[in-house]
Amino acid sequence: MTGLNAPPRRRTTGIAAAAALIMVLAACTSRAGGGTSQAGNSANGQPKPSGKVGGTLTVAYSSVPQTLDPAKTVQNNSLYQALAYEPLIVRRSDGSLAPGLATSWRYVGDDNTQLELQLRSGVKFADGSALTAQDVVDHFTYVMGAGGQFVPLFSGDRFTATGPLTVVIKTSQPNPDLPTLLTQDDVVGGVISPLGLKDKAKLGTQTFGAGPYQLDAAQTVAGDHYTFVQNPNYYDKPSVHWTKVVVRAITNPQATLNAMKTGQVQFAVGDASTLAAARQAGLTVTMTPLLWTGVTLADRGGTMAKPLADIRIRQALNYATDRKAIATALFADGGRPASQLTVPGGYGYDPALDDAYPYDVAKAKELLAAAGYAGGFMVKTVTAEYQSMNLVAQALAQQWSKVGISLQIVDRANANQYFSEAFAPKYPTFMTIFGQQPIWTEGPSLFLPTALFNPFHTKNAELQSLYDQAAKAAGAAKDRADQQVEAWLVHQAWFVPVVSTGLPYYATKKITGTTVSPKAPLASIYEVQPAE
Amino acid sequence: MIRATARWLASSLVLLFAVTVLTFLLSALAPGDAAKTMLSGQTTSYTPEQYQQLRHELGIDEPLPVQYWHWLYRLLHGSLGTDLFSGQPITQALGGRLAASLSIIVGTVLVSAVVGLAIGVVSAVRGGLAGRLVNGLTLLGLAAPNFWLALVLVEWLAVRHPVFPATGYVPVREDPAQWLRSIALPVITLSVGGSAFIARQTRDAMADVLSRDFVVMLRAHGLPLRSVVLKHALRNAAIPVVTLLGLMFVSLLGGTVLIEGIFAIPGLGQQAVTASSTHNLPMIEGVAFYFTIIVIAVNLLVDLSYRWLNPTVRAQ
Repeated sequence: MTGLNAPPRRRTTGIAAAAALIMVLAACTSRAGGGTSQAGNSANGQPKPSGKVGGTLTVAYSSVPQTLDPAKTVQNNSLYQALAYEPLIVRRSDGSLAPGLATSWRYVGDDNTQLELQLRSGVKFADGSALTAQDVVDHFTYVMGAGGQFVPLFSGDRFTATGPLTVVIKTSQPNPDLPTLLTQDDVVGGVISPLGLKDKAKLGTQTFGAGPYQLDAAQTVAGDHYTFVQNPNYYDKPSVHWTKVVVRAITNPQATLNAMKTGQVQFAVGDASTLAAARQAGLTVTMTPLLWTGVTLADRGGTMAKPLADIRIRQALNYATDRKAIATALFADGGRPASQLTVPGGYGYDPALDDAYPYDVAKAKELLAAAGYAGGFMVKTVTAEYQSMNLVAQALAQQWSKVGISLQIVDRANANQYFSEAFAPKYPTFMTIFGQQPIWTEGPSLFLPTALFNPFHTKNAELQSLYDQAAKAAGAAKDRADQQVEAWLVHQAWFVPVVSTGLPYYATKKITGTTVSPKAPLASIYEVQPAE
Repeated sequence: MIRATARWLASSLVLLFAVTVLTFLLSALAPGDAAKTMLSGQTTSYTPEQYQQLRHELGIDEPLPVQYWHWLYRLLHGSLGTDLFSGQPITQALGGRLAASLSIIVGTVLVSAVVGLAIGVVSAVRGGLAGRLVNGLTLLGLAAPNFWLALVLVEWLAVRHPVFPATGYVPVREDPAQWLRSIALPVITLSVGGSAFIARQTRDAMADVLSRDFVVMLRAHGLPLRSVVLKHALRNAAIPVVTLLGLMFVSLLGGTVLIEGIFAIPGLGQQAVTASSTHNLPMIEGVAFYFTIIVIAVNLLVDLSYRWLNPTVRAQ
């Protein structure tokens, strides 16, 4: 079908998708597998519930889903899907992986290219249909064809039902983090029922999962609030903590805080601008470092801005940045200086790199002179007015002027225009906010030649080799390999990270379970429960 | 009467056509489109072929006149199309939002009219200290920024003293009492400036009417001031005020966006902003269509009010 009457094929939005890219996360690096139900945990791997079932949990979420279709939504809206679509593997708040629809999983062989999942028996979707291995295959076939944000994560992968409840995923490249891609954080791990796949047009406005809840369309107003009621067929009813969950889409941070303070909402994704007030109001604030804000020096070949081709210039920009001053002035309550593209405790983090580029104007001038730019130069950057990104740009312009570099800022109030121009690419550099994530997924997003955040498609054999080694490694060797990738990026100064911040969660005293950790910075909605 | 009605209908249709055509044209001039918006959500760069394919699937690769004709054809068959992103019918997506926006706008216009007229009349009739006091207060009301006032009201009437809810909207069909509570703070916020504006206009119009000969005559015939003001002078003074109320109504259609955000009200304004930033053309057209219908309805009401208030207009 074509024309205006045709049902749209892709329905992600620029803003939401952009936010998703910015905040894209994955939860855990645990390669192997082996998930089985553990003592002290319920069937779906959640910490053992208190047994107390609350009435209605109202959550405020700053992102408005343009569609509820798991294959077409963006990662930033994973909360909406997590409630209704049970993932194959559950990511706990401590970052560990636990059984979901799959009771166990393991890599076959030692090259991280084949993952075998054993599905839970007797599982029924909310619509009453039974879960089979073929359903999982059909689900991923639909996801891959729908062309959403998650397709690149599974590009070239083959899904096969090798038994009634056994699924094998064969990847074209070594993928040490495949289990983490099947958790609630990356949405598509939540399997769509065969009935849902039969009527795909309904996936945008209804839910067809096997999760603890299902959408109640009658109590839902798209774009405002989404009401989820218990799924009568859920396989692990004791772990369901609420009779109803209402997710309110509130985009104004102050409105979110007001709703929390007046008890209209019990749990919310907060914002740096209201952090201090939330603490003052006695709310429980949970936060762990998650994002770095800085500049992507995208034109490393020097096609638009010749000086950027010289590593000494890129390093000079890093030395000319007073990170501590910016962190203190702009992120007093939730920011810390950042010299690397990850956060403390995150993937590839190396404390030794924290001071890789101390603020040193003399050193910066020395490097500029050595590169033949003693008098400085002009370079343009584009920024959005989002999460203080534009304010960081202004601070950098002021600091870099001390070494003779004129940073010309193109400020786009329209976030879509910013993304469009940054990724076109229309400017040699662009302001960036990026969420720390496993190196395996960070590469195709941030620094490999096909990455969105590498619009000039810069290639480097050494970086590719380090990335490939990290993809094949496991355990402690993988941690070291991840660090080597990060170290290379820091030393080559492809970016100017400035400050790392967290994603704050606010909770009233009536609820608990809003824990987060460095490698699982997203709170797990499954663990939010009434306080004792 | 029939001719007048036919003329009004014709002009309304022309306006509707002009606005919807203009909306299509302006949307086409804006940089980017829905396909680009959707594809920018991918984690890797997309090919021109993918982009063109998506444009084709969305139907936005057709010439603008053809797109408009498709939209118009569906409209004539009772449909405003579907949301490019969610697939939800536009009428369904906008239905609840229309009610929320109208609740706030109608409430604001009503409160502004009642309070503004009362203050304006008192100011014009009393003059002196009371008049100056009213002048000062109305100036304050005009100067107070909406967003600041909203935050102050939330802090005092929702957080510290939980009289009204801080956020959200309850449809009237669900619970009329809660509906009233849910729109109270947005209406109060917007009515402060609105009342001040109407009060000043009423005061000036009323002062002018009170100085006219027929008022002097009425007073000379012994009619009490109360009767002269409320039965005769106010009716005359109300004509320019009615025009302003109509203008206020129309300006509030787009002017409530900020307030909707602060109070987390799912209104048309917020939807218009989202649709514009994502190039969701059917949604933009739907909002424009609703806005135009409302403008036409308001104009009709203003015209009818003129006829009721002014016998010379009725005679024409």
